[in-house]
Amino acid sequence: MMSSRSLAIARSGTRLLLVDPAPFVLTILMPLLLTAFLLPATKAQLTQSGYSGATGSEQLIPGLSVLFALLGTALVGTLFFREHAWGTWDRLRASSASTLDIVLGKVAPLYAVQLLQMGVLFLAGALLFGYRPNGSVIALIVVIAVFVAMVVSYGVMLVAVFATMDQALVIGNLGGMLMGGIGGALAPASALPGWLQAVAHISPAYWALDALHKITLDHAGLADVAPSLLVMAAFTLGFAIVAGLRFRPSDAKVGTT
Amino acid sequence: MLEIKDLKKAYGGDHPVLRGVDLSVRSGQIVGLLGSNGAGKTTLISIVAGLRSADGGSVRVADIDALRDRRGAARHIGLAPQELGIYPTVTVLDNLEFFARLAGLSGGAVRRRSLEVAAALGLGESLKKKAGELSGGQKRRLHTGLAVLHKPDLMFLDEPTVGADVQSRTGILDIVRSLAAEGAAVVYTTHYLTELEQLDADIAVLYEGRVAVHGSLAEVVGRYATASVALRFDGPPPALPGWRANESTLVPIEPPSDPAAAAAGALATLGDSIHSLAGVELVRPSLETAYLAITGRALTLEDDHDVVA
Repeated sequence: MMSSRSLAIARSGTRLLLVDPAPFVLTILMPLLLTAFLLPATKAQLTQSGYSGATGSEQLIPGLSVLFALLGTALVGTLFFREHAWGTWDRLRASSASTLDIVLGKVAPLYAVQLLQMGVLFLAGALLFGYRPNGSVIALIVVIAVFVAMVVSYGVMLVAVFATMDQALVIGNLGGMLMGGIGGALAPASALPGWLQAVAHISPAYWALDALHKITLDHAGLADVAPSLLVMAAFTLGFAIVAGLRFRPSDAKVGTT
Repeated sequence: MLEIKDLKKAYGGDHPVLRGVDLSVRSGQIVGLLGSNGAGKTTLISIVAGLRSADGGSVRVADIDALRDRRGAARHIGLAPQELGIYPTVTVLDNLEFFARLAGLSGGAVRRRSLEVAAALGLGESLKKKAGELSGGQKRRLHTGLAVLHKPDLMFLDEPTVGADVQSRTGILDIVRSLAAEGAAVVYTTHYLTELEQLDADIAVLYEGRVAVHGSLAEVVGRYATASVALRFDGPPPALPGWRANESTLVPIEPPSDPAAAAAGALATLGDSIHSLAGVELVRPSLETAYLAITGRALTLEDDHDVVA
């Protein structure tokens, strides 16, 4: 349960996000555009892998959603670092809100926005590109919810570890691209070179994509993707622990407005 | 309302800033906290507001141990830090309402108090404007207003009028007066000493890590300030034993016990230089001359940041 202070911070954070929705819109439009371009090639690849009747969206919609959600961790950094640039961070700290209140209040709207972004992408994928998972829709929703929690946790860890917004953005984007690429966001992990397949399991994105792949193409339900959910939860917890250990509210951070 | 005892803080372990500060501020009292560069004013405020830890000593705010119960003490504190702290991309009203909610206000009180504060600071016409589009003075007023929304019992205003125009400065001083009149204890730092005279504030001078002087404005001025005299010339002043030149002015090196007699004596020894004398000015005792006598130096605008290692 969020405190009234957390709710106030979350409400304000939502307003700050809505004032400039461009980054959010971009993370929806870019994957949809890429899907349109890559659809024929991906369809051929899936057909070759034995999924006759696939449209290509079965790989592209989950893959690009996961990739752009990971790249969206920049948004987490933005919301935290801008507080420092605007001089409002100390005002938050001087209030009767606890550090946990502040962090929860900041990440709640980010979680909602990331969830919305993935939801819109899957919905647009269904409407525009014929994306139809043959497994459990409930499982799909749970996987997305847990994956987004992991992404937000990763973003908070970046904020805790890095002193400047630029550092967090560069490492966040690079890390997001690596995790997505290795995890099979751009091509199924099974289609990657052998040495990449061997290391794919260390990518948090792999577990999300593995679960989404099973739900989309292999008739999977919640029980089938439970192991992936557990691994994602473990990653979420791991990122949160590192963030908790490294997060110092009094640290001077350099952000840009 | 605020009771600080033997407060100590060093940066990097070997750079003591506060060496044992004692300070008490009662409800309704305005205390002007003065000190030069690195004296520790901002450090002191930051510790009381829970933004920094202390190395030793005690801080009680409304009978709450502020070093142990930061959140409990924070409910009683309003802080307008030295650096501007507003959300520039949202409106003035959004800023006010957010900080009102953060301070614990709810329901209709949020809007009501936000409008009250906006009106008191002359921002009533700018409520729908984005904060980033306000003038420098308006931003400063909003910044100050965000700290008073919950009618704090203890208010810290750290250089609230830096960069503010005359209207904004007047508005901020009015707010400070009304806060004190309503019973708030106010700690106010500034380099514009005339503001403290206008507020008739009590004075605390932070010097070499301790509060060197604490008393009413009249007491501090009466005890430490001295009258003096200045001889103004057209062009460079002549050399005169016991006097020093400051651009086109001569002032006594030591504060004279009788400024008029000192001036008469100087005039008698001027010789032909008396033709370039443009005027004789009596310098009255003031907070500025008192501060000079206490610390041995004038308070300048460069003295606006603590040295933090």
